[in-house]
Amino acid sequence: MFLPDFDYYAPESLTEAIGLLMQLGPSARVLAGGTDILVKMKSGLLAPSALVSLKNLHELRRIRWDADRGLVIGALATHNEICNSAVVQERFLSLAEAAHKLANNQIRNRGTIGGNLVNAIPSADLPPILIALGAYVTLKGSDGSRTLPVECFFTGVSRCALEPEREILTEVVIPPQETTGSTYLKFGLRQSGALAVVGVAAAVTMEGDVVRDARICLGAVYKTPTRAIQAEQILVGKRWNNNLLEEAGRAAVGCCLPISDIRGSAEYRRDLVRIFTRRALKCAITKGHV
Amino acid sequence: MIPSTPADQKPKSIPRAYSHPGLPEPADKNYAVIGKSKPKIDAREKVTGQARYTADLKFPNMLYGKILTSPHAHARILSIDTSEAEKIPGVKAVITHKDVPTLKYGIAPARWDENIFCIETVKFVGDKVAAVACIDEETCYKALKAIKVEYEVLPAVLDPLHAMDADAPQIHPEYPLNKNTEIHQNFGDVDEAFRKADYVRTDFFIGNRTYQAPLEPHTATSIWQDGKLTVYSSTQSPHYFQYYIAREFGLPMGNVRVIKTYVGGGFGGKLEPTGLEFGGAVLARLTGRPVKMFYDRAEMFAHNRGRHRQYMKLTTGVNADGRILGVHADFIMDGGAYTSLGIASAYYAGAMLTLTYDFENYRFDMNRVYTNLPACGAQRGHGAPQPRYAFEAHLDNIAKELGIDPMEIRLRNARKPNTITPNEFVVNSCEMVACLEQARDLSGWADKKGKLPAGRGIGVATGSFVSGAGYPIYRTDLPQAAAMIKVAEDGTAATLYTGATDIGQGSDTVLCQMAAEAMGYTYEQMKIVAADTETTPHDFGAYASRQTLMSGAAVKEAGEEVRKQLLDMAGEMLGLPAEQLDVRLGKISAKENPETALSFEEAARTFFVKKGPLMGRGSYAPPKLGGKFKGAPVGTSPAYSFAAQVSEVEIDEETGVVTVLDVWDVHDCGQVINPALLHAQVHGALYMGMGESIWEEVRFDAKGKIQNPTLGEYRLPTALDMPRVHSSLVPSYEPAGPWGVKEVGEGATLPTMGCFRNAIFDAMGVSVNSLPLTPEKVWAALREKRKANGEDVWDPLACECFLE
Repeated sequence: MFLPDFDYYAPESLTEAIGLLMQLGPSARVLAGGTDILVKMKSGLLAPSALVSLKNLHELRRIRWDADRGLVIGALATHNEICNSAVVQERFLSLAEAAHKLANNQIRNRGTIGGNLVNAIPSADLPPILIALGAYVTLKGSDGSRTLPVECFFTGVSRCALEPEREILTEVVIPPQETTGSTYLKFGLRQSGALAVVGVAAAVTMEGDVVRDARICLGAVYKTPTRAIQAEQILVGKRWNNNLLEEAGRAAVGCCLPISDIRGSAEYRRDLVRIFTRRALKCAITKGHV
Repeated sequence: MIPSTPADQKPKSIPRAYSHPGLPEPADKNYAVIGKSKPKIDAREKVTGQARYTADLKFPNMLYGKILTSPHAHARILSIDTSEAEKIPGVKAVITHKDVPTLKYGIAPARWDENIFCIETVKFVGDKVAAVACIDEETCYKALKAIKVEYEVLPAVLDPLHAMDADAPQIHPEYPLNKNTEIHQNFGDVDEAFRKADYVRTDFFIGNRTYQAPLEPHTATSIWQDGKLTVYSSTQSPHYFQYYIAREFGLPMGNVRVIKTYVGGGFGGKLEPTGLEFGGAVLARLTGRPVKMFYDRAEMFAHNRGRHRQYMKLTTGVNADGRILGVHADFIMDGGAYTSLGIASAYYAGAMLTLTYDFENYRFDMNRVYTNLPACGAQRGHGAPQPRYAFEAHLDNIAKELGIDPMEIRLRNARKPNTITPNEFVVNSCEMVACLEQARDLSGWADKKGKLPAGRGIGVATGSFVSGAGYPIYRTDLPQAAAMIKVAEDGTAATLYTGATDIGQGSDTVLCQMAAEAMGYTYEQMKIVAADTETTPHDFGAYASRQTLMSGAAVKEAGEEVRKQLLDMAGEMLGLPAEQLDVRLGKISAKENPETALSFEEAARTFFVKKGPLMGRGSYAPPKLGGKFKGAPVGTSPAYSFAAQVSEVEIDEETGVVTVLDVWDVHDCGQVINPALLHAQVHGALYMGMGESIWEEVRFDAKGKIQNPTLGEYRLPTALDMPRVHSSLVPSYEPAGPWGVKEVGEGATLPTMGCFRNAIFDAMGVSVNSLPLTPEKVWAALREKRKANGEDVWDPLACECFLE
C-alpha cells in the first residue's frame, strides 16, 4: 500500500518538538523509528496530518549509567543499540537479551525503545522485563515533566498514559536494585521475526535458596503487560524448588486472560504461561545475572 | 469422504519390467565442463544489485496500473460506477469487464473458467473487478477508492468438505456440486489385494494451504504498439504467457512478445499469466502507453495459485512382512475459486504415489472442489507433497503395528530400476534402495532408532518426481525444447539462445555448461540469451523440473552440431579427417597425435570467413509415454528422480516445540551438471518443505478473508530455524537424459513433511495427522496421550482466576 499524505517536521530540539505537537493538535504523531506507525499508515489504520520526527534529538539516543538514578536509556535508543550496549549488558543483561529477541535484525536497527512502549501492543517484548525490573519512564511536556512506572504506563491495547498532543517520552530508567537475577523468556512461533505468543519476565532477589523478592510480568496474555502478583506471593520468603516454581506458574495463569487468535488458542497460551513462568523463574534464580 | 466407486476398468496385466533403449552409460566420464561447480553465470549481476528485475524497468511515458478486487468471498455485482475515478487528475484509463475480451481463460484447457474481470459474480476475496492506469502509483490508489461497486453478498462455500453438499451454494453454474475435477482410477485389483493382505489399515490426514511466497512480487509491463504487444514479465514460462495472451486478444503469436527479465523465484506461482498481463495489455492498448502493474504482498497472497489443501484417506493392505499389496487413495482437494493448474494437481496427487514403492494394485479417487477462496495451483512438487506426507506417515503406522523398522519396511518395498508402475509410468534409472541405505548409514540410523534420549526422534521418508512432464499443458505437437548456439565471428565467445527460463534455480548456468561440454568449449566464454519469445527458440519454461533434462537435451544437440561443423573445418585446415580430431575446452587436437593442435577460435574464425555464421541447432521431444486410461499423461516423464530423507528432531515435551536438528537428504538425480547448484536446490527445497511442515499456513476468517497475508504472520522459516543439512548423492545414470541427467528442483520438497511427522512419531509416540505440525498441535497430541495413559494433566482452563 501507499503512505497517505502528511506534513513532516524534524525539529532540532525537544522544546521545539513539544511546541510543534501542541501547535499541530491531536492528529499529529511522533516518528521515532517508524516500524509501527508507518506500517499502520500504509495499511490505512492511521492517517495523521503530520509526523514530528525525533531523529535530530541526538541526546535522546544516549544510554548511560547514573550512580543515583540507575540505567538511563534515551527513548530513541534502537533495539540493537540496547542489546549491543556494554553498559546494558553489564548492568541488566536480561534487557539486552530481551531486545535481541525482538522482531528481526532489520526492525531492531530501526525501532526504538520509546516507540516500542508508546505503541503499547500487548505482545511487546520490552515491557515485561522493564516492569519486572521496576523501570519508569519520563514524559516531557511543555510545562515540565513527569515520571511514571512502566507498570502504570499501559492503559489498554495500543493505549498508554502518554498524552500525544503535548508529551514526548524521553527516557526509560531502570533504578539501581537489590535484584540478584532476572530474565525474559519469549515464546514465538519461529526463531526470528515472530510476535510473542507468550512472554514472561521474572526478576528475583535471592538470599541463598530463599526468595526474598520476586516480580513476574506476563506479555501477550492480557490487554496490557501484566504483573502476576499472586504468583509472586507464592514465592516470597520461601526456599525455592521445582514444585514451588510450578505452583507459581499455575498461579500466574490466574493472572492473565489470553485470547485465541491465529497464533495460538487461549488454552495453549495459558499452559505456556505456566511453563514459561516456571522456566523464567528458574532461569532468574540460577543464571546469576540481572 | 467420496463414496467408493466400483472398478470401472478390468484389472489388466501391465508389464512389470522394462529396459530403456537409450544411450548406455559411458565408461569414460572425464567431462571437461559438466559435473563441476561453476559459478552462476548471473551471480555477479545479482550480488552487486545490477540485475534488473521487471519492476526495475522504466519506459518513457510509462503509466502505473492497479487492479480493484472484491472484498467479498461470493457476491453478485449489481453495478460498477467508474465516473468519479475517471475525473481524478492523472487517471488515464479505468476499465471493467465491459472494456476487455470476455473469453474465459485459464492455464489448463479443460477448464477455462476465469475472466479478465468478473462479469456477474465475484468468487473470492481478491477476485478482479476493475483496473486503472494512472501517471503514478499513488493516483492509482485514489482512483481505486473512487470506483463504486454495488454488491449483493451471496452465501459462500468456505469448507471444501461441504462444497459438494446438495444445498451448497453453486460457484460456477457449469460445474454442478462444485466439482471441478473428479478422478476415479483403478489399476489391478485393490479389493482382492486387501482380501489377501495380512493387515489392512486406513488413516486420514489433512494438508495445509500454503503459498509459494517468492521474494519478488509478480510484475508485468505491457507495451502495445502498432498492433504488437510486448510484455516484460516475472514469469516461469514466456511461452505459455505468449500462447494465452495471444489467445485472449485474438492476436497471432508472432505479434505477442513475452520477455522474462531476472526473476526472484516462482516455485510454480508464476507459470500462468495473471490480471497483471491481461489487464495491463488492455490498459496499454487504450492509453497507447507502456503500463507497469504489480501485486503487493497481500495481493500476491490473494492471487495465490499455491498449494492445495488436501483431505487424504489412505487404505493399504500389506503382507505380514510389510510388503505392500494394494493401496487405495481417496482424496478431496480444495481448489479455490478457479482451476488454474488444479486439474494436473489433482491427478498428480494420486499418480505420484506409485513411484517410490513397488506395488501392483492401486485405486485413486479424487474430487477437486471449487470453494470461494483464492485459486490453488502448482507449488514445488505440484499435487504430490501432501499425499507423500500422508503415505509416509501411513506407512510408519503400518510398520509400527507390524513391528517392522521404518527403514526396513521401505527397503522391502523400494522400487527397482527398469520397472513399470501400476499406472504405467516407465522407470529407467532408480536408486531408491541406494538412497535409503546411504541415508540410513549417514544418519547413524542403527545407533539412533529406539536408542535416542527422551524427547528425541528420528524419521525417514522418500520422494520421487518427474524430470519434466511427458506432455505440455495444452495439446500441441511442438517439441518440448529447442536451442540455438551462435559462435562469435572470431570464435572467442558463443551465445546460447534458449527459451528455457532461469527463475533463480540456475538453468542459464547449467545449460551453458552443457553447451560448452557439447561444443568442446569453455564455460567462461559462454553467453546466454534466454526466455524471450522473439529472440530465443521455443521452450515450455520452468515447471515440472524439466529444463535440465529437456532443455539440456536440445542444448546438447545444438552444441554437438557446432562441434561437428567446427571439427570438419579443422580437419580441412589440418589435412586430417574430422573423425581423428577432438575438441575439449577450446583446444582442437588430433586423437592420435595431441601435438597436432588448433584453437577453437582459429577454426571458428576460418569457418565464418569461408562458410558464414557457425551455428548449431537442437530440439527435444520425449517419446510417447504413458497408458491409455483417462488422465494417463499426468505424471509421465522420460525419467524420475528418487530421494530418501532422514531427520532427527527434538521435542519440547511441555510446549510441543519441534526443533529439527539434522536432516540427511540423499538424492538419485542422475549425472550432476553443477554440484553446488544441485545442493543449493536441495537446501532450498528442504527449506520450503520445512516451512510447509511446521510453520506455513494461509488462514481465513469466517468470511473468507485471508488473516495472514504478510510475511510477518505467514511464517516462512528463518535462517535461524534451519537444521544442519547433509545433502548427499548416490551414483546414478539415466539413459533417457542428456549425459544421464535427472531432476532435483522439486523432488527434494517431497519427503520432508512425512519425514518430520515420522520423527515426531518416533520421539513421542504421537501422530499429528494434519499439516502444519505446529507446536500447538504437538502439545495437544501429547496432552491427549498423557490423558489416555491416565496421567494427571493440569487443565489450564480450570485454574483459579485472580483477575476481576
